[in-house]
Amino acid sequence: MSKFFNKEIFYYYRRVLTNPIDSFYEIRHREKGSVPLALITLLVFSICFTMNRIFAGFIVNLTDPRTVNGIDDLTRILLLFVLFSIGNWSVTCLSEGEGRFKDILTVAGYALMPLIITYIPAIIVSNVLGENEEIFYNIILGFGFAWSGILILLGIMTIHNYTMLKTIVTLIITIVAMLIVIFLAVLLFDMLNQVTGMFRGIYSELTLRS
Amino acid sequence: MKRILPLVLALAAFCTLPVFAAVDVPYDSYIFNYRQYLEFTPSPYIPDGNVSGVNLGVGAFSLPRGICVGPDGRVYVADTGNNRIVVMNPEMTEAEVITGFANTGEDGAAFDDTFNKPWGVTVSEKGQLYIADSDNHRIVVLEEGELVRIIQNPVSEMLADDYVFIPLELGVDYADRVYVIGQSMFQGIMVFNETGDFTGFYGTIPVTVSLWQRFWRLFSSQEQLSGSTLFIPTEFTGVSVDKEGFIYASCIDPNGTQAAFRLNPKGEDVIQKGENGNLGGDTYPAPNTLDYGGPSYIVDIVVRDKGIYSMLDRRRGRIFTYDDEGNLLYIFGGLGTQEGTFRQPSSIAYIGDRILVLDTDRQEVMAFKETDYGRLINEAVGLRYDGDEKQAVEKWREVLKLNENLELANVGIGKAYLTEGNNKEAMRHLKLGMNRTYYSIAFKRYRNDILKENLGNILTGFAILLVALYIWRLIRRRGAGKGDMVSDE
Repeated sequence: MSKFFNKEIFYYYRRVLTNPIDSFYEIRHREKGSVPLALITLLVFSICFTMNRIFAGFIVNLTDPRTVNGIDDLTRILLLFVLFSIGNWSVTCLSEGEGRFKDILTVAGYALMPLIITYIPAIIVSNVLGENEEIFYNIILGFGFAWSGILILLGIMTIHNYTMLKTIVTLIITIVAMLIVIFLAVLLFDMLNQVTGMFRGIYSELTLRS
Repeated sequence: MKRILPLVLALAAFCTLPVFAAVDVPYDSYIFNYRQYLEFTPSPYIPDGNVSGVNLGVGAFSLPRGICVGPDGRVYVADTGNNRIVVMNPEMTEAEVITGFANTGEDGAAFDDTFNKPWGVTVSEKGQLYIADSDNHRIVVLEEGELVRIIQNPVSEMLADDYVFIPLELGVDYADRVYVIGQSMFQGIMVFNETGDFTGFYGTIPVTVSLWQRFWRLFSSQEQLSGSTLFIPTEFTGVSVDKEGFIYASCIDPNGTQAAFRLNPKGEDVIQKGENGNLGGDTYPAPNTLDYGGPSYIVDIVVRDKGIYSMLDRRRGRIFTYDDEGNLLYIFGGLGTQEGTFRQPSSIAYIGDRILVLDTDRQEVMAFKETDYGRLINEAVGLRYDGDEKQAVEKWREVLKLNENLELANVGIGKAYLTEGNNKEAMRHLKLGMNRTYYSIAFKRYRNDILKENLGNILTGFAILLVALYIWRLIRRRGAGKGDMVSDE
């Protein structure tokens, strides 16, 4: 089987859910992770996210169906995913993190698994709920989010060989780093816009004058 | 030729059929739905002619400010600039003019008194005419042209010593209590009892200061504070009294969320705000363009039958109509110079199937007549108000034929299906009407029915599943045991 999708990789992919620390250790140190698999997980999560917005029951679903766009959702989730990975990588590089960029990508992707697992039953349950029973839907979703959060935390901790405190601190700094990246990106985009605008201005000036 | 004849006949028959073409109106008719999206609707009201002083043969109006309809259907217009009151018959074809009344001075001598800028007019249930005689600082009460009483010089500890009473708008309830909006009187509506004594302020609009504003006030100096805008309550702009004695008042709400108030005898606001919680006219912030969004400038309000009330907006010349539950029924009207559009609408009144709007700048009374669409909605809401939901459904169905997007009609039909016991249809209509509360009731009943019918099957399936699971585990354990034995060897 290929390098990215063999039996062992799927075995550790499953084990992440129940034994995150062990599995993430194997992923980091014995090359048992797979970035393509993480990206596929992300894609499936994005589909589940969009499905939740469309198919969740009328009682719990306040989304306007006209605003739902699966491609937009996917782009946003992918952007956030890449942003988080870059932010975390740039922070942990400077604070003695042992994880490589591909490990961070793998952890962030694998950690979305619980959300996929909980979204589908949540969508089904929401369709048989009435008013004042939304709590069941919210509990299922909340459970998924908590599980995912724990996986991210333990994953980042394991691949970088950090203590819990240091993990939490680096995660907070990661968020700051993400904001800085966004700021720089917007700045760069704006400046590029101005430069192209200048050249376009010169071009039209030249063509219209002659 | 014989073959063509039927065709020609059919064509002729088709042409002579009454055509229900859309009436061309010079304004938009629309509504805001559950998600505050703008939806255009058929016209609920169409222009039904203008009446000016010249038409009536009493000379042109001059900056008229107030209009009202008496219990006998006569229409009263306060012709402010000409210092007179014009009284029209219900058809608005003939008019008589009140320019003054016989008064007795302090010395007991009789003299002919006149008005000075009469602003608002209203008629009590007894047929007495109340005139806010603004620049004479008094309210004049007339009955058939004869003076009944004069309300002036309010005295109270709550009023400043140099307070000048300038009444603008007024309303009268069944007990002859007078509710007056005075000029720059932001403390509330002034209430006068049946003998004409000032009894107090009423229905003050609470001032809301946002957290952010509080935060900045903490850091600003005394000079900055004195330079900033004062937090004073908004003034009321119009007042109208319903048959039960509740006072409907309108105000200009800069946030565009609540421009109408329904005040109980204690002066508390008891208005119902509906699903959207929006009683401010056009929604704010703007949904699409500024033509339909941004806060409205509500200048007057009128209570109609069955708890329906209409508000008049000066910013875009709209008339907003709500029902007793605070649901938006329809919006129509616009600014312009064509017939049926306003330049400066200032007062609104209601008579039978017509809405009358007084335009100060055009110096005309503009009438609007209800269409089938408007009539059906009014009747359906009226029937629901009376508790006759079954008959209301028929009306709602008709409404739905004319505008199948109307959420209110869907909710009305859905509720009827719910009481009938047809839960599935109820769910469909209540979902279309975006009413989660009633949808949930229908849904729970539907769910219970399905469970009751299929309880046996569900339990049987569950039992089979359990047995299958048990057998599967048994087989698996046996298989695993064999495997162990093999590995041992």
